[in-house]
Amino acid sequence: MNQFVTVPSTLRLDAPLSACNLTMAHGHHTVLSELDIALPAGRVTAIVGPNGCGKSTLLNGLARIHKPRHGSVVLNGADIQTLPARQVAQKLALLPQDNSAPEGLTVTDLIRFGRHPHQGWLSQWSDDDQRAVEQALAAADIEALADRALDTLSGGQRQRAWVAMSIAQETPLLLLDEPTSALDLGHQVEVFELIRTLAGRGKTIAMVVHDLPSACRYADNVVAMCGGEIIGAGAPADVITTELIETLYGITCDLMQDPASGSPVLLNIRRMQR
Amino acid sequence: MSTTPARTYWHLQAQQRQFSLLIEKRALIVNLLLAALLVFCSLASLAFGTLTIPLSGLMQTLLGNGSGMHDFVVTELRWPRLLAGGLTGAALALAGCLMQTLARNRLATPGIIGIDNAATAFAVASVVGTGISIAPPAMALTGAAIATALAFGLSGATGTRGYRFIIAGLAIGAISGAITQVMLSSVALDDANAAYPWTVGSLNARTDGSVQALAAGLALGYPLALALKRALVTLQLPEPVTISLGIHPGRVRLAGLVLSILLTGLAVAVAGPIGLVALLAPEMARTLSRPGTVPLTAAALTGAILMVISDLAGRLILAPLEIPVGIVTALAGSPYLLWILLRKSSDINQ
Repeated sequence: MNQFVTVPSTLRLDAPLSACNLTMAHGHHTVLSELDIALPAGRVTAIVGPNGCGKSTLLNGLARIHKPRHGSVVLNGADIQTLPARQVAQKLALLPQDNSAPEGLTVTDLIRFGRHPHQGWLSQWSDDDQRAVEQALAAADIEALADRALDTLSGGQRQRAWVAMSIAQETPLLLLDEPTSALDLGHQVEVFELIRTLAGRGKTIAMVVHDLPSACRYADNVVAMCGGEIIGAGAPADVITTELIETLYGITCDLMQDPASGSPVLLNIRRMQR
Repeated sequence: MSTTPARTYWHLQAQQRQFSLLIEKRALIVNLLLAALLVFCSLASLAFGTLTIPLSGLMQTLLGNGSGMHDFVVTELRWPRLLAGGLTGAALALAGCLMQTLARNRLATPGIIGIDNAATAFAVASVVGTGISIAPPAMALTGAAIATALAFGLSGATGTRGYRFIIAGLAIGAISGAITQVMLSSVALDDANAAYPWTVGSLNARTDGSVQALAAGLALGYPLALALKRALVTLQLPEPVTISLGIHPGRVRLAGLVLSILLTGLAVAVAGPIGLVALLAPEMARTLSRPGTVPLTAAALTGAILMVISDLAGRLILAPLEIPVGIVTALAGSPYLLWILLRKSSDINQ
């Protein structure tokens, strides 16, 4: 039911990460069926949709956390399941939604985990590792918290520490599952702007975002999902229509353009009259 | 500068910068102190007993010019027993540390998963003359492997990570214990008496070759465990993060589980099921170590110390009667276990 915009096939050729005919299932329950998606290089893609529509499953599928039932995920032209784990980890980082760490672990300890794919038994701490950790701390603005234990931090500080771990992994591809869900407005904007900065340096980013206006504001590309299928993909202004919002969330609203950024803004939101 | 690991690590780097090592300062100091404590406890274990050997006499013997009586007691009686105890403690603690880490559960130790009991049942079967003539180490290993495979098979999709693994293991342990009792009560009294000290965990019933087999198992298992350590540390993070960092959690868990079975089986073949060492030694080592590490070496050293001290205590407390070492560790360990449970009840299943 691709009644809205479909993914242009030309986009897929130069996409660093794409999925073709992707079907994912938990047991007998099919979560995603025959889904095609391509992440445009150097852009921010926001995956939006109602709860339970398969956004996180898609992200986990793209990050090879779970094996697809059918179809394949293609990383730089090769099936991701056939690539060595370490090689994939140098190209692609995933930050899942619910994260926990061992008690007493410090922020720096956590960020150092991000360097794991770049290290080995005989190169346990290189100058690159040092620089990457320092840069990640600075990027997430948590230098002052470097030696604090994670369990003593606020939810927002902890989330930024996890984002910093993913940054320290220094992968060209970054997949983030609701990176701002625990954050207040100020820190949300901070993380979104950080994501824009990273994309500006050439990273390809996909993020699951619940807040539609934020998705429109900070993403170049929006993928709208409903019931395990992609029902729209493309530039926010092209994809986000009142009809699509009705389909996704069962609400009606008016759309306006943000005078500053030009991205769609939702106004006068109300439940659909049935 | 706060981001450099210099305060917590020594950083060794070769000129070409290709080669760099991080040595955690606290781990090194803790391990050296534990090693020193182990040496001290070992000397005490060699010196004390029914015949107390003064330090000077012990030194003479160790240097090769002691008196005949001292030489006999130390080299023939106490040294083999010390070696068996130390190796058993180290192997059980290492197995416990591995299993706790891969199951992400502090209660998941070979004793609780029933591996100890199953290994004992199999080994007893070969000792009490059920017609099986395979050597106890091989039998204990078989029992350990079967128990783990059963617990794993019964735990369903969650594998080693869920509570079902623990519950299935508890049941297998109980059944194995019962089988051991049935075997002991159905064989000739002499056979049962011969096997008894062993079923409660004792260093008295060592069978031929079992200590050598354990030593070989540790010589193989300890370096392999160290090689797994980097991956084991990342297993403490959520599974999607572990995979994202380039680790195959399933492979690491399987490797850890196999090592754990190997070490437990071989240790049980020497001394039977030793209560709580596999749970307490890693716990103590973790208390001594930096948060977020997997203290394999510290756990092994602590396990060896616990066994050596417990065996010495068991020999001395009611001398000339001897309390089996497994009973000493269970008696002394239980309060500590309770204290851990009460203190950390909120995160025991993390």
